Amino acid sequence: MLGHVARTLLRVLVTGIGIVTVAFFLMRSIPGDPATTMLGDYATKESVATLRAKLGLDEPLWRQYAMFIADAASGNLGTSVVTGQPALAQVLSSLPPSAALALAGLAIAIAIGIPLGIISAIRQGTWIDVTVMTVALAGISFPVFWVGLAGILVFAYWIPLFPALGSSSATDFFTQAHHVMLPAIVLGLSTAAYIARLTRSAMLEILSQDYIRVARAMGVRERSVIYKLALRNAMVPILAVIGVTFAWSFGNAILIEAVFSRPGLGSMLLKAIQARDYQLVQAGVLVLASIVVLINAALDLSYGFVDPRLRAS
Amino acid sequence: MSEHNPNQAGVTRRQVLGWLGAAPTAAMLPWDPASAQASAGTLRVRIGSDVGNLDPAKIFAIENQTVAGHIYNGLVKYDQKTNKIVPDLASSWEISPDGTVFTFKLRDGVKFHRGYGALTSDDVKFSLERILDPAAASPYRGQLAAIKTIETPDPLTVRITTNGPAAGLLHKLCAFNQGWIVSRKAVTEIGDKYAMQPIGTGPFVFDKWTPGTETRVVVNKEYFEGAPKVNDVIFRVIKDETAAAIAMENREIDIFFAMQQPEIIARLSKAKGITMMDRLADNTINLVLNTTVKPLDDVRVRRAMAHAMNRKALIDGYFKGTKSEASTVLTPAFVEYTDDVMKYPYDPAKAKALLKEAGLEKGFKFTITSVGLSPYDKIPVPLAEDLNDVGIETTVQVLERAAYGQARGKGDVQSCVTGLVGPPDPDSPLVSLFSTKSFPPGLNTSRYDKVDDLLDKASRTLDDQARYAVYHDILRKTAEDQPVIPIYQDRLFMAYTDAVTGLVQNSLFTVYTYGVSFKG
Repeated sequence: MLGHVARTLLRVLVTGIGIVTVAFFLMRSIPGDPATTMLGDYATKESVATLRAKLGLDEPLWRQYAMFIADAASGNLGTSVVTGQPALAQVLSSLPPSAALALAGLAIAIAIGIPLGIISAIRQGTWIDVTVMTVALAGISFPVFWVGLAGILVFAYWIPLFPALGSSSATDFFTQAHHVMLPAIVLGLSTAAYIARLTRSAMLEILSQDYIRVARAMGVRERSVIYKLALRNAMVPILAVIGVTFAWSFGNAILIEAVFSRPGLGSMLLKAIQARDYQLVQAGVLVLASIVVLINAALDLSYGFVDPRLRAS
Repeated sequence: MSEHNPNQAGVTRRQVLGWLGAAPTAAMLPWDPASAQASAGTLRVRIGSDVGNLDPAKIFAIENQTVAGHIYNGLVKYDQKTNKIVPDLASSWEISPDGTVFTFKLRDGVKFHRGYGALTSDDVKFSLERILDPAAASPYRGQLAAIKTIETPDPLTVRITTNGPAAGLLHKLCAFNQGWIVSRKAVTEIGDKYAMQPIGTGPFVFDKWTPGTETRVVVNKEYFEGAPKVNDVIFRVIKDETAAAIAMENREIDIFFAMQQPEIIARLSKAKGITMMDRLADNTINLVLNTTVKPLDDVRVRRAMAHAMNRKALIDGYFKGTKSEASTVLTPAFVEYTDDVMKYPYDPAKAKALLKEAGLEKGFKFTITSVGLSPYDKIPVPLAEDLNDVGIETTVQVLERAAYGQARGKGDVQSCVTGLVGPPDPDSPLVSLFSTKSFPPGLNTSRYDKVDDLLDKASRTLDDQARYAVYHDILRKTAEDQPVIPIYQDRLFMAYTDAVTGLVQNSLFTVYTYGVSFKG
């Protein structure tokens, strides 16, 4: 177990370094830099040069990179050039709203997606299956910002169940939960569509296996066949896709964040990229990458619990 | 104040439990929009983008300027309604007859927020010298270039000497960007973090920035013109205008700042209990032509292009009449404005004739470069269509903001879309667009060089009427030469709910809530 944790941490480290390196050079290869972006249209050559020197941008690229890695190794990811606040602290402060949205969205997606997937697999070819799969297809096809705006119109305006704004600075749990519900439902519905389709195909594949036929022939109750034998084995691919979508929703919830005026890692990163706020982008990418790697590591561990065959390896 | 009940911090526990429990219960207990009201006397203002830097030496973007406007004062300021320059921190000032010595008397007893002490002439000197210091790399250094020395004969007197007669200096010292006065002690002590821990003398004290969500300022009870009538102001980031409109109809916000979409303007104009304000802005949006490249160096070609573009159709169609036609880069918001200039109504036949005269009956290839921000990414499209109709083969190139800044800054694009949002200082658009000093670097990407002497004359002419006449000459000359084709005059839209009163809209593209109070 300890060895596993160490391996995971090593993987986080290697992936982190790799991805931050890519982010470092990618950011510096796009037009504009923090100095020109901050100084704007009235900047003189001298003021740009002064600011570049102050930010260390006049150093050769390899030197900037070496300095960045050395600082990062000691836990210092630099300071945002725009706000003057430590970059890592600013990124971490955007994590709780992102996590709340991702978790609530995931819970809704699982609660809807898995039962629907199972039902349509069991009732394959019936009107239930066709209806569920058509709705799921629609769920995947409709752009999330459209669903979001429609959700606001219906559930915040026509039937005022929720506030139109998906966040509040209030700190009490109920206010926060109330504000996150509508964006979470929108995120959850689009993810539920994927999960339902995947659950259905995984279930169908398992249900056509010989051992299911044998179980049925031996008179095992259909309930047990479905939930004990089939669903458990179908869980591995489902878990994989849940993990991926969960990690995905941290960064990619940006459209939902924009529609519902929620803060979060995605919108913070977008703004940082537009401002060429290198330090903030690097810190954000590093944190995002760590989340993805950690979630995948946690999933790898969980496969063992779900499917004993994977434990040996 | 019934709508601003202090114990309404959003939704009640019972409502959420009801919602979580059973759907029918939830349906019977709909969320009451009025419960969205924050604590007593909290004014909630929608801004479209997050705040990020409130240091006057580095400040940019209307959201930052809006928040900073609540925190800081200048020596003088623009009256929100009339744009006249009126006293702010300086109770009076004198200008020497030759226009080179400006002596300001400061108000007595003005205090900086959070115990940073009384305002003195030294703070004013520090604030302005900070902008002028090349090491500080402030983008506004050029604005104060006329200043030679700043002296402080006593704690309440500031004497500024200029390099020559500087008729426009008061504009540069108005409470906006470089004109905002900071505390020497605060800036020195707070250091790098000052950008988000600003200290001013204004009616509101900076309280808290919640990234991506809101910025809160609280009342300054000791404000020298009297404490504001609300307890605090929350500047709430709501990017999407449709969501902001619904939030306003639900009374989750009180003031909707920076409204752009014609559909939203139409919707909220009709909404019950919501008042729509609009005011002509200081800025126009312009197509800047590079006069150093062929065939744009020929004035007949530039005039042909002005005649070819159906700008009225753009205003009536795309903008649904929410903008106005422009014939110069100044708007009637300026006292220096005149409409008595050469005009270029939509006339494709005349455009073709002018092109033929210039030997270009076969047309030429032309690119409009614009920035990927709404509406600047969309307006070039119908204009390109119009140009194509008279034979000018036009393509539109839309670039991301920083990339656009770089492309425009290089000065080798044929044309670009430039608007100068700012104070009602005529030099702000005129010097920036037409002075040879303004490229490179700067915004005179048409490389126009025919009004330098007039701009210089204006800054040396101290008599108001005589100076206005010089500005009229500049407008006439630039209208004749058309290095810059004004596309439209911007118009600013802002709405407020019937819960509040006393809002005055300015023409600076900021919102200032000092005069606002709640009804009831």
